[in-house]
This record gives sequence, structure tokens and C-alpha cells, in this order.
Amino acid sequence: MSKLGQVVESVEKYNQFVVDQVKRARTDEKFGRDLLGRWNDIKAKIPTTRAPTGLSLPRLALPEIDEPGEIARFLFGEGLPGEFPYLNGAYREMYLEPIREVESLEKNGHAKDGKSAKKIAPAEEPTRLFSGLMLAEDTNERFHFLTAHQRTHRLSTAFDGPTLYGIDSDADGVFGKIGEGGVAIDTVEDMVRLYDGFDLGSSNFSASMTISGPAPIIMAMYIAAAKRRFGPSVVPKLRGTIQADIFKEVQAQNETIFPIEPSLRFLTDMVEFTTREMPRWYPISISGYHIGEAGSTPVQQAAYTLSNGFAYAEMFAARGIPVDQFGPRLSFFLDCGLDVEYIALARVSRRIWAIGMRDVFAAGPKAQLYKLHTQTSGRSLIAAEFKNNLTRTAAELMLAYMNATNSCHSNSADEPFTTPSEEWIRLAAHGQAILLEESGIFKHTMNMLSGSPGMKAVERAVEAAILDEFREIERLGGVLAAVEERYQRSQIQNAAHKYEQQIYDGTRSIIALNKYRNGSDDVPEVKLARTPRKKQQLQVDRLAKFKKKNAEKSKRALDKLAAVVESGKNCFPALLDAVELCSLGQITGRLQEVVGRFRPMV
Amino acid sequence: MAAPIRILTAVPICDGHDSAINTINLEFIRHGIEVVYLGYHRPVGDIVRAAIQEDVRAIGISSYNGGHIEFFAEVVDLLRKKGADDIKVFGGGGGTITHDDAKMMRRKGVDEIFFAGTSLEGMVKFVHQRYGKPRAKRPKAKSADQELAHQLTEVEDSYAAEKKRSPLNGQRSTSKSEVRVIGFTGPGGAGKTTLIDELVLRFLNKDRQSRVAILSHDPSVIGEGALLGDRATMINSQNDRVFMRSMATRGQAGGLSPATHDCLALLARSGFDYVIIETVGTGQEAMPFQNNGIVDQTVLVMNPDYGSRLQLQKIVMLDLADIVVVNKSDLQRAKTAHTEIEQRLEQNRRSQRLVDTVAKRHRDPGVDRLFDLISTSGKSKVAKERRKK
Repeated sequence: MSKLGQVVESVEKYNQFVVDQVKRARTDEKFGRDLLGRWNDIKAKIPTTRAPTGLSLPRLALPEIDEPGEIARFLFGEGLPGEFPYLNGAYREMYLEPIREVESLEKNGHAKDGKSAKKIAPAEEPTRLFSGLMLAEDTNERFHFLTAHQRTHRLSTAFDGPTLYGIDSDADGVFGKIGEGGVAIDTVEDMVRLYDGFDLGSSNFSASMTISGPAPIIMAMYIAAAKRRFGPSVVPKLRGTIQADIFKEVQAQNETIFPIEPSLRFLTDMVEFTTREMPRWYPISISGYHIGEAGSTPVQQAAYTLSNGFAYAEMFAARGIPVDQFGPRLSFFLDCGLDVEYIALARVSRRIWAIGMRDVFAAGPKAQLYKLHTQTSGRSLIAAEFKNNLTRTAAELMLAYMNATNSCHSNSADEPFTTPSEEWIRLAAHGQAILLEESGIFKHTMNMLSGSPGMKAVERAVEAAILDEFREIERLGGVLAAVEERYQRSQIQNAAHKYEQQIYDGTRSIIALNKYRNGSDDVPEVKLARTPRKKQQLQVDRLAKFKKKNAEKSKRALDKLAAVVESGKNCFPALLDAVELCSLGQITGRLQEVVGRFRPMV
Repeated sequence: MAAPIRILTAVPICDGHDSAINTINLEFIRHGIEVVYLGYHRPVGDIVRAAIQEDVRAIGISSYNGGHIEFFAEVVDLLRKKGADDIKVFGGGGGTITHDDAKMMRRKGVDEIFFAGTSLEGMVKFVHQRYGKPRAKRPKAKSADQELAHQLTEVEDSYAAEKKRSPLNGQRSTSKSEVRVIGFTGPGGAGKTTLIDELVLRFLNKDRQSRVAILSHDPSVIGEGALLGDRATMINSQNDRVFMRSMATRGQAGGLSPATHDCLALLARSGFDYVIIETVGTGQEAMPFQNNGIVDQTVLVMNPDYGSRLQLQKIVMLDLADIVVVNKSDLQRAKTAHTEIEQRLEQNRRSQRLVDTVAKRHRDPGVDRLFDLISTSGKSKVAKERRKK
């Protein structure tokens, strides 16, 4: 049985454990009494908070139960926020207003002068907006614009097509793609420009990079760029995330450049290095987003993301990386659309991950957390009467925060037809601020919307369906075997086809598309963000200069890299050397000579 | 009857959005169109080379990652440069291509851009109306490959019109005496295409000038269209030193097309060092290269999962093939398959060779061995005997 099979068993066993505890609480008087005592203690310790209207509320909402069996069901089956199995959240408090301000309100009914309200470390805002356009300096400017009013600088980087495929801006036929849909990065020098003006070693800074196929090379460039600016001592302080999710590329997104096995080996090389040398870095973001966007059902999205995650964990453990070293450095990324499953999809995922990591991989508490970034669904947005997309995104945001996501990106309404423009990005960011900071839904009380009977029903149905998917993958021989025989890919394509069919036959309502439409199909007139030819030429010229400067040395660096790859040793240190002298495309090309190219699955 | 319309579809370089084109391809083939599908992440050079070799009427490009104005224009320009502007260009990209973009693209020579909301029926109708008329007379080809592609079209069209063509005579022959023609056959899913593509990589690395031709077959479906998809996974064969032509079986059983023999004869004397012919996935009774007279060496590619041992007795090609390959030999079942097939071949008392390969693996030693067997050995005995007859 693969680890995935064991995960299924561990969840079944855990559910049985919960049932047993409920029974025991009802039959074993002492046990029941102790539980009740604990429950009363928990309740007594919950601070009170007060809304601006004066209404008093508990800072943590709990079900109104006083029967030991029900208490057991809640504490073992769901857990308090921040407690195993983490159904209600990975952390004790999220999104809430800082506690001391609340206390001072408590005492005086209004905030006193600035002196008595002690300065407290502000919590990180969960907002993280995806951005990338034109050349490094243009994206840099956008980053500064986006973070102008943020306490913490959390950048999320989109790369252009050539970069995502590991090729250079001077490659045959890519000229028009330079800087389109993301930023063009060819060399370490571009990487220096990209984050210029940001303090990469600061605890208030983190960079997220959405790239998978050539992720180890881009990661090496990021480290090299940081070293150029801040010296080698910055390396252990670097904070951020790189996507590096090979399985979902093969399953859904088609941005794979090496065959699967060497791709996974390069990934493991990088993870081994970063989890040891850069303890604050997340070297992989296990992503369901692209699976969802490619058309999967929500259950498929959650199931494939989790099973990919367990497969990576199995691989890293097999390399000999301790689970408590890599486990806390795994993070997840989910899509959030409007289907009913999204009421609890991430909640259920968090619970399954915690149980599997604890009981199958023997992970400690920090390695059990399913730390989640959510993005609202791009696929749910349409061009027809596109301002409706604001409403769609708002509803999805609500669902994402009901699932206690750790961070979130809200899509811009103009995404169906262009790289988002500043006007719509601003509205998307404000959507989050209105929900979290203006409205009282999330800022006063944890668990404000958790645990409704409907949510519980969705949780049960979704968990059962995810475990069924796991069983099927296990039957096929595990994740890698299933990927190689295109199982997930075919399932996703089939679901995508059904979705389109449902729109076509009207069983799925899309407002202004197949319902209440006004008849105009025109793409709205919006200002499009396109990369001017002059900039594209500039990128090609810079690259030529870089290549010329390093012409001789780069050959030796590539030879050295190739030799290390052949030897089977961890090649990440050699990559760190190579990026000083070689471009992305040069490195990719050389690696492909050694390990081959990815053969598309059609 | 007129030949089906042949078009080529592809997704541009640095773009992995293939779900729209997959749906559209299926709609095209259901309506009698033969689609050569090149796959996603394809550079301009590959698209134009393939379009010329396949001699399609038009190229359909599905672009979702931006840069479409330049990309489409580069395709049109390169076609022009290669003297192939009889091949037209159309495409779409959902909401990513604006009406203004489309205007500019039309000005640059693109026939049509489909916007979000265009029905599949509308696209099929467009292809039939715009590219369904008989071809106008074409100017003299600008390159040998283009001329060869035109001639192959003539052969195929004449068979479609059911006037069987007399053997091509009196044409320029640059035949090299040492051309080797190798026939690949075997059941569907055994990995023939991947194996051939890996062999091509070895041909290309062997020296700097030899050229390879590939004649690949896919079945026509009901309604007479066909999805000719081998190129989409043949990453090494998109190369100027490789001439590849994809043929639909157009109603003929047995793994080949009515026009195959004449096309193969033409390829065999067109100056290539190696000519590879690949059948569609075949059944047990198939013997596609029998009485062919052109194929020097035949390779049967087997999947280790052929069923019971008894099934082996029924596979005719096991008697005829010069080389039998057990591909996917990393599968658990492969060792048993090797033993059983070895015994089966021993009954024949001929010097048939058995090779285990894992074609999907880069630099697989089994594929290296197969390459040695087909690139260095002389004319096979079987072929010589065939030729005597």
C-alpha cells in the first residue's frame, strides 16, 4: 500500500476514534466530567470584544453545548481554531482586530489617547495580490504601487510565457510574448531589478513566485540576486514561496519542461537545500488552483492537491529530509469558486492533511498545518457584462474567509480579457479590505460563520468524496503511476467538458451569459496592458549583453552543472553558481540535453 | 469523391492552454476534416515546417497567452518567405484577442479570428466554406521538401478521387542506394510513436547531415475526418532534417492508407537516408508490410500486456518482423513478456531479434540497442526474399 492508502486508513481510523470518544464521554463518567470541566475552562478564558456599535461578543464563538458527548465530538472531530485536526483554522486567531485595542475599548468604551493604547505588532494582512507585467522594472513599479499602504510587503510574482517555459527572450518566435501576462526574467540581473527597493531580508517582506517547470533555476536566481544586494548573510532570512508544483503542471497546466522524474529530482534537490539553509522559505506551493481552473470539480481539486501533497511528502522523506524540517515548509494554494463545495472545501482539506501528516508521516504539530493561500476563481469570471465579476469575486472572497484561508488573492473584474489594470486591481484589493476591515463579519469573532448544519453536511459529503478519489488513485498504483497514465488529466478534462455542457444546456446558470443576458457579446472597451515593442527589444538587448559578457565563463559553468546532474548528487548548489553566469534558457537547454525534454501528454 | 480538407492546428510557444483546441479538433474531425495536431507550446518554425510538409490548406492557431498579433504575423510571414502562402491562417483566443487586435491581424494576412462565444458549428462551417474548394494551381515549389509535399498530396488526392494513379515515373530521383526503409507496426498504445521519436533523436545526433522521412498513419473516423496527432508528442522530430507526413487511413483496414504504397515509394527515392513508416495500431492478423517490396526492415512494437500466452500464437507479425520490441519494459509484466515472446520467436528459426525498451526514458539503453540494429545492419533477409518474388 502506498502512503496514500495509509492516509485513507488513518482518516477512517480517526473518524472512528471520534465516534469512540463521543461514546466514552457518555458512558465513562470521569472522562465526561473532565471534558465538561475542560470545556468550561475554555469558555471562561475567551475574552470579550466589543463592536463599534457597542455590542459585546466573545472573541471565539463556540457551539452551545453542555453534553459531554457533543463536547467530545467538537473538540476531537473539529478542534478549536489552531488545534488538531484544525478544521476551524490553522491558527488560534485570524483576521481579528488586535486584542489590546479591544481591551482599551472594553475599559473605557472608546479608545483613549494614543499614549495608553500601547503600540502593538500589527498582524499581517492576508491580502496578497498577484502581479507581473512587462520588464522587471515595470513590475517593480507595480509592486511599490500595490504595497504603498501595506504594513507588510507580500509580493506575488507572475512570470511571462518564455520564463514559465524556461526559455530566453531571444528564443525563436517568442518576441511578442516578452512581458505578456507576467514579467520577463532571463538573468540574475533581471531578478535584482524585479525586487529593487524592497528589503528582502526583512521580516516584513516576503516574495511569492508563481513558476513550476524551471522553479529551481528561478529560485537560484532569487537567492543570487539577494546575495548581490545584501551579501550572503541574507540567505537564511529570506521569506517567501515558490510554486514548484510539478504534478499539477502535468495534470493540468502544461508548463513542464523536463520529464517527470528528473523534474521531481530537481525539485527535491531544491527542497533539501532550502529547508536546511532557508528555514523561512516555502519551496513548494501545492496547487489546486490550476487544476480547478482547468475545469476540475471542487472535490477533484481538493483530492488531487492533497494526494499530490502526500506524494511530495513521501518523496522528500525518502530523500532523507526529516518530516519536521520539510513539513512546516509546505504550503497549499486553492481555487475558490461559487459551487457549494467551496463552503467547506479548504476546511476539510486542512483536516485530512493534519491527520495524514500526524498519523502516517509522524509529523509534529508544525508539520501538520495545511497553510493555505486562496485565489478567487478566474474561470468563474466572464467578459459579458463584466462588472458582475465584482459580485462573483466578493461572494468567493466570503467563502474563502469562511474557510479560514491564511492569505487570499481576489481577481480583478477585467481579467477575462486582459492583464488586470490598476483601476480594477484596486477594486479587487478593496473588496478584501471591505470584507475584513469595514464589515464586522470577520474582525470581532473567530468561528463567526463556522459550524452551521449546512456547512457540516457539506463537510461530510466532501470528505467522503475526497477519500473515494484517494482510493481510486491508490488502486492505480499511487500518484506518480496515476499521473503517468493520465488519470487526473483525463478526469479534469472530462469535468471541464461537463461544465461547458451545463452552461450550454442551461443546467448551470451564468448570469448575463446564459441567463438574463442583454444580447451584446462585445468585449467591453477597456484599456489593455500590452508590452510595447521597445521594451521587448530592450529585454533582448540586455540578454545579449549578459551573454556576451559571460560567454567564456558560462560554458564552464554549464559543463560543471551537467557533470553534477549526471553524478546524481544534489545539483542545487551548482545551479546557484550557474545563474551567476548563465541565462535561464542556457541552463534549461543544457539540463534538457542531460535529462531530456518533457513529452506532452495528449 | 474529393479528398477531405486537411488543416493543421497548434497552440503557440509558451502557451499551454490546450483545452479549447482539443474540443475544436474533435468537432472538426466529426465533420470530415483531417486535423494534423501539433500540440501546445509550439514555435513558429515548427508550425510552418509542419504545415508545408503536411501540405495542409490552413493553419488554425489557438492562442490564450498574449503576443498573438506578433505570433500570427510571424506565421504568415514565414509561410510567405517559404513560398507557401497558399496555406492560410486562422485562429482565436477567447477574450484575449480584442476586436482591434483582430483587425490588425487580418491586415497582416490572417483570414479569420474567432471570438469568445463563436459556436463550434460556426468554425466548422467556416473551414468547409473557406478551405473546401479545390486548390488553385500552385506556383513551382520553392524547396525540395515543398515539392515532395505537393507530390504526396497529388498521390493522396488521386486515390481519393478513385482514379488509381499509375506509378510515378520520370521524376527527378535523388535516390541514394543506401536508403533504409523501416516499417513500424504493433498494437495501439504500445509506444510506437515515442519509440520512433527517440530513434529520430539518435539519427540526428549520429551525424550532421543525414535526413529522415517519417510516414505516419492514424485511422479515419466515421464521417471521414481524422485526428493526426503523432506530431504533438514527437518532440525530437520537429526538425529541418526530418520530413514527416501524417496520413489518414481513409477507410482502408490493415493499418495503412490506399495511397501509402505510392507515397512510400516516392519518399524512398527522394534523397533520405532513412525512411520510417508507422502504421496505425494494428490487430493480431495484420501484416501491413507484406508484399510491399519497399520496406527493408520491419519492427513489431509490443506492449507487455498482450493477454494470455496463447494470444502470442495468433499475432502474425511475430512470424514476419525482423525485430520485435517489448516496450514499457519497466512494467512488472515485462520480464514474463520477454520470456514468452523469445520462445515464440524461437519456433520460427529465423534470426529475429528481440529488444526490450523503455521509450519514455531519456537515453534508454534498449532504444540505443534498437538504434544500432536498424541503423547499421544491411538489407534484411526477409526484404531481400520479398524483393526476389
